[in-house]
Amino acid sequence: MSALAATSVTKRFGGLTALEGVSVELRPGEVHGLIGPNGSGKTTMLNLLSGFYQADEGKVVLRGEDLTRASVQRRARAGVARTFQKPRLLGTLTVLENAMLGSWRETPRRLLPSLLSWPGIRGDEKRNRARAAALLESLGLGYAIGRQANLLEHAEKRFLEIARALMLRPDFVLLDEPAGGLTGPEIERLGIVIRALRDAGIGVLLVEHHTEFVFGLCDRVTTLNLGRLLCHGTPAQVRNDPEVIRVYLGA
Amino acid sequence: MTSSSLRSLAGTLVAIAAVATLPWWVADQYQLHLAALIAVYWVLICGLNLVVGFSGQLSIGHVGLLAIGAYGFAILAGRYEWSPYLSLLACGAIGGLCGFLLGLPSLRLPGFYFAMATMAFALIVAELTLALGDFTGGGVGLAVPPFPEPFASPEGFYLLAAGAAILITWLTRNVAQSQWGRGLIAIRDNPVAAESVGVPVFRMKLLVFVVSGMSAGLAGALFGSLQSYITPDTFVFELGLFFFVCIIIGGRGSIYGPLFGTIVLTALPEMVAPLAKLGNLFYGLALLAVVLLVPEGIGRVFEVLSARLRPRKLEHGAVEPDARRLAELLREERSR
Repeated sequence: MSALAATSVTKRFGGLTALEGVSVELRPGEVHGLIGPNGSGKTTMLNLLSGFYQADEGKVVLRGEDLTRASVQRRARAGVARTFQKPRLLGTLTVLENAMLGSWRETPRRLLPSLLSWPGIRGDEKRNRARAAALLESLGLGYAIGRQANLLEHAEKRFLEIARALMLRPDFVLLDEPAGGLTGPEIERLGIVIRALRDAGIGVLLVEHHTEFVFGLCDRVTTLNLGRLLCHGTPAQVRNDPEVIRVYLGA
Repeated sequence: MTSSSLRSLAGTLVAIAAVATLPWWVADQYQLHLAALIAVYWVLICGLNLVVGFSGQLSIGHVGLLAIGAYGFAILAGRYEWSPYLSLLACGAIGGLCGFLLGLPSLRLPGFYFAMATMAFALIVAELTLALGDFTGGGVGLAVPPFPEPFASPEGFYLLAAGAAILITWLTRNVAQSQWGRGLIAIRDNPVAAESVGVPVFRMKLLVFVVSGMSAGLAGALFGSLQSYITPDTFVFELGLFFFVCIIIGGRGSIYGPLFGTIVLTALPEMVAPLAKLGNLFYGLALLAVVLLVPEGIGRVFEVLSARLRPRKLEHGAVEPDARRLAELLREERSR
């Protein structure tokens, strides 16, 4: 199996059960939507997949390998990238440098070569720079490459964070409410980017409130309510599910 | 080679030439002594800068590591009559080991508690230098041997210290300009983002702390030899704060800012007589002024001021992704 899957995971915070026995399976080249009311456990699920939380019960498996207890870094190196609800960038660095940070998977982990600036290191740096520039260019951020990240507008920050995630050469990208705070045309462009990821064979998890955006984009949709699975299926199935309409979509 | 890298190479060469010829153009021996002291301090501060300025860990106890280096050198080269060069390297190794032992438990603590742990370390070292009288001479202190020729004269010693300072500047600059440097800044500014791209946060904090321990050990050996006699009073806790303040005043995330901070804070109170009496007051005022007015540090004061006087209007274009190119690029990347 080449999927990233959470199998009947449960997560509790003290007395509160944020997720109970929920399964989600991301497949390469598919966009998987995760929707539900506030507090339904969407972001908790994303954090369990990316490793920021560890499941109390159940398993997280990537390509058949058990990652339930694996650290965030280990999962990143295995090809699971993510973005955050509020973009987390390094404000004092440039757009290009922020994107370059994402290629950590290919960076030698020993300190000595960096201290001595071995020729190999300089070569890596050059390749990293070229890759980041090409990626930013194709994402439409070429004009802002040398700009300091804390001078960016919200949409620019959002796309830069996606660029950083893509610099990992990920197999799976987990997006935490990427449309939040974007204008209509910007959401459309976000859709273009997500479709491009899918076409390139990347599996995408889309945690989102904007239901029209989700239904228009996703191959499959999972709906949560109060930490439990409400409904799972194609956008058409989910959209017409009476339970989903009752608790979430409204009539 | 581009013109900007050519210019920076030329600047570096001029700076090195100025540092190397300093003994022949300073006014007197006292200024030469000051220059040597700045070089020795810089060896420590430059390593500490990776910890404080880049990874954002607030160590205020590096004076403890300086003391360990100085006493180590006095004991190895003085009492046991090891070769001074071997003793110097041994002090670097001891400093690195102590950095490892201190960092291993304490670098997991959140900022404030980490600072307290390093302070406690400095206080313990100060107590030990007093208590272990048989070894350290207690309150009486120890004589520290000089380096042999050609480094015995003040000029020679200065050149030795300046050489060490240039070497460590080069090493930390390499780190700062590499992916490692970005990783350290990510640890400082946004550890959650750092983790999410796979930066091994604790490991990197520990490694740069060990490097800072090594540079502090080396600096300690040079410092002891420069002072020629050390007592526990040589290593007051304020000295540890002084190192920290040099970096904050110079600016975090920069190499040359803290260098400037070190030069100004060391030289100014000595050169301007009225300031000498008010040493700590001067540091305090300088720190207050920087933190309130230019929190980015004096290394970037011109940049910050010009940005404030003439706010540049940024053109925010619409982010227009090119779907075909993006998909092509990603597919190509993933096939490798």
